[in-house]
Amino acid sequence: MSALDDMRLRRNPETPLARKLLYLNWGLVLLVLALAAVGTAMLYSAANGSFEPWAWAHMARVAGGLLLLLAVALTDIRLWFRAAYPFYALCLLLLIIVEVKGMVGMGAQRWINLGFMQLQPSELMKVALLLALARYFHGIAHRDLRHPLYLLVPLALALTPAALVLRQPDLGTAAMLLMGAGTLFFLAGVRLWKFALVAAGIGALVPIAWSFLHDYQKRRVLVFLDPSTDPLGAGYHITQSKIALGSGGLFGKGFLEGTQGHLNFLPERQTDFIFTMLAEEFGLVGALVLLGLYLLVFIYGVAIALSAGSQFGRLLAMGLTANLFFYVFINMAMVMGLLPVVGVPLPLVSYGGTVILTTMLSLGLILNVRIHRDYHIPRRGLRNAP
Amino acid sequence: MNEPREPKGRHQGDLPSGMDLGQPERWVVGLDGNRKQALEVGRTRLILTGLLFAFAFLAVGFRLVELSWLQNDMAPRIAGTMEAPGEWQAGRAGILDRNGEVLAANLPTMALYANPRELRDPIEVADRLAEVMPDAIGERLRRDLDSDRSFVWVKRCLSPQESSAVIRLGVPGLHLQRDECRFYPHGELVSHVVGFTDIDDRGLAGMERAFDAWLAGGETPLQLSLDLRVQHVLAEELQAAIDEFSGVGGAAVVMDADNGELLGMVSLPSFDPRMPGRATEEQRFNRAALGVYEVGSVLKSFSTAAALDSGSVTLEDGWDTSQPIRVARFTINDFRGKNRWQSVPEIFQNSSNIGTVHMAMTTGTERLRNYLDDFGLLDPASLELPERGRPMLPNPWREINTMTISYGHGIALTPLQVTRAFAALVNGGELVQPTLIKRLPGEQAPRERVISERTSEQMRWLLRLVVLHGSGGNADAEGYLVGGKTGTANKLSPSGGYQKDKRIASFAGAFPIDDPRYVVFFMVDEPKPTERTYGFATAGWVAAPGVGRVISRLGPMLGMPPRPQAEEQRPDPLLVPARLRGRSVASR
Repeated sequence: MSALDDMRLRRNPETPLARKLLYLNWGLVLLVLALAAVGTAMLYSAANGSFEPWAWAHMARVAGGLLLLLAVALTDIRLWFRAAYPFYALCLLLLIIVEVKGMVGMGAQRWINLGFMQLQPSELMKVALLLALARYFHGIAHRDLRHPLYLLVPLALALTPAALVLRQPDLGTAAMLLMGAGTLFFLAGVRLWKFALVAAGIGALVPIAWSFLHDYQKRRVLVFLDPSTDPLGAGYHITQSKIALGSGGLFGKGFLEGTQGHLNFLPERQTDFIFTMLAEEFGLVGALVLLGLYLLVFIYGVAIALSAGSQFGRLLAMGLTANLFFYVFINMAMVMGLLPVVGVPLPLVSYGGTVILTTMLSLGLILNVRIHRDYHIPRRGLRNAP
Repeated sequence: MNEPREPKGRHQGDLPSGMDLGQPERWVVGLDGNRKQALEVGRTRLILTGLLFAFAFLAVGFRLVELSWLQNDMAPRIAGTMEAPGEWQAGRAGILDRNGEVLAANLPTMALYANPRELRDPIEVADRLAEVMPDAIGERLRRDLDSDRSFVWVKRCLSPQESSAVIRLGVPGLHLQRDECRFYPHGELVSHVVGFTDIDDRGLAGMERAFDAWLAGGETPLQLSLDLRVQHVLAEELQAAIDEFSGVGGAAVVMDADNGELLGMVSLPSFDPRMPGRATEEQRFNRAALGVYEVGSVLKSFSTAAALDSGSVTLEDGWDTSQPIRVARFTINDFRGKNRWQSVPEIFQNSSNIGTVHMAMTTGTERLRNYLDDFGLLDPASLELPERGRPMLPNPWREINTMTISYGHGIALTPLQVTRAFAALVNGGELVQPTLIKRLPGEQAPRERVISERTSEQMRWLLRLVVLHGSGGNADAEGYLVGGKTGTANKLSPSGGYQKDKRIASFAGAFPIDDPRYVVFFMVDEPKPTERTYGFATAGWVAAPGVGRVISRLGPMLGMPPRPQAEEQRPDPLLVPARLRGRSVASR
């Protein structure tokens, strides 16, 4: 062990648990609670004023998720650094298992039944991929980034799961995986002309990809471009969603009073279209308040990323924040008709176990970066005494 | 990566205190200039990403404002321009639900007719029209257009797309004419109540028929007492019950116990009012107002109320229910009897046929009949709908009829009648006139006293007992104090007599039972036993759970927060009869 390594390790003493709790960003935890409360209220309303079948389960999951969040936040960041690749490998394995099972079961099954919840490995993969990429980029020097060879490994890291998810077929999640990875590439400092190259390549590929799309996917895209062509069929979701959004007005129709939501005009009102219900019942003001809550979460995320001491921490915090942002943005843009219908839930508000798990894991890791911001992680990983 | 674990705490303590600087940047900068550049690029890009997100969020916010605020401002203006110049005036007034949702409305459309003499190639025109309008019948069209007439209706009520397609065809000899058509936005959800019109806008059924003249001349829409949300819940839960038990149909009614407004009236299977001709007789039949059914033990509520109110029976009385009653060739027995003496509350709670017959005989035929008459069970209920059923009663009415009717055997009623009578049972004892028209604020419904306040209160308690301890347990909805009575009856066969394997499962209930606001009636026609219900298809398994689900959904919708389940206002029933009666009947 060199003297340098020795110094590096000395610079990273173990912080006592009590101090870590002090460093914990309680404002962010409070925001999480506020968002979960909004979710519970809307799920109560979605069930026509009943805690069954969604609101109770949501509350229980949030409570469990909070414990997970705290546990993740208080774990030493170096442990996460070490666990990055194994965790990625595990998620990849789960994805493959789902793929194989799906082939056997002849259907598009995307989850693994854990008994108390149905785990979608593709959701977990979003976090695992960011962890793995953050670790990789932490480990290579800035000048090495210029060398395209160094980008092959992270590209493989990103494309493998994306391809698997695309096969499920789950276009939305695959896109989100790639967007998260792209953000990390950008943050790590990959040259801009490379992004331009990829964009041009995608542009050239679109006509080819179009011919590979399923008919229903093609229809969705076409209908997205003009929903009025098919108001009762594929345009139904969006038209109803827009009607509901518009009917809320400034202050909404009041809790439990929305007609579009309660009369079952809205499909999937407990998951993907929950924001529409909120906008209908609490109006523009309610929707903007929710938007504001998310905005605060993201501001926290960016601030934590800025203050992170290590490249790993910075990339991780910002990557995860970006990922959460994508959830919120895609969901809201979808219900407003700015994006085609893809099944992306609203974190902490929508009903669904894996999303809560992923969100809490993400927020836990972000908080973890904040708590351990002064920790230094050597570029080539952690080495110890011989 | 193959890394040995970091030995914990090994480096602590032996640290020179001056070395702990705690500022990685300074330390790194000193070592590696390249690293510094990386940091700067990273920081810039991080801020850039953050800004990008902020812009995206701003866009979402703007879109939200546009959708929910600006568009709302625009909506009335569009509506205004459509009506203002007086270009088009609906020829028939619309029908609304109590909250103003449109149930029926006229819209301007186009009608297409042809002059076959002007057509050059009728067959080709017919084929091209059939392409444009898929639901036009090609064969009929060919024949019509290929005739020697000078006027043929091709189609009325064209959609805007269809009319523009016809115009684009540009065939001489086809003519469009302004027309208007009646539309039912909620289709089969309300078709039995709203009814439908013929192609010339004459009301043929339901409220369309009842208020035909008024609607045809009127400009103000007709506002019904129906609540579309209630209607939706009823239809959904009734359909679920029918599906689960493979029933052939069903009916459900929700009525305001105080002013008689019907908030929901559902009959399934239903039909599409736009195409009543394609519906079967079975679908068009209104089971809620026109159909008559035996409601079985639900009727015990009324015979018990009659016995109590007439003073011939008190709550402290009791009868021996272990012995079946034999009259002529009939034997009256209990479904899963208790085989012992039971008090009046027990008889009601356990739905004992034997006990109820004893009570009815104590009341007397004449008096029971008068009470049933007062409850409105012997005449058709008055309601705006033209489709109202006449109850089926025994003629002549003998003593044996009194006995069987007391537990609901041998009398067939419409769900509407049962709902109305049940409201009188729980609302303090007054029979109110049911209506499908929304009452004005403060308007009093015509009402007549049937039983005393005291009897009504006793009945409410008895009905609660059924849900708490009796067959109605599945009807309870947490926080809404449901009270009610189940009833399972065998179905009458067309050839006379009863069909053993065909049943009617019904439940009449009210909530909250300490001060009832709404009465719910729920009936499934010919439910079949399922494995989940252990082979039962009785009302407690079929109808009661539906009512429970309906009430737990309606409560919040009708502005009633669930209340914490209060302590029952009375002690548990005095299940030991204080006075043993009935030897006179048993000895007959």
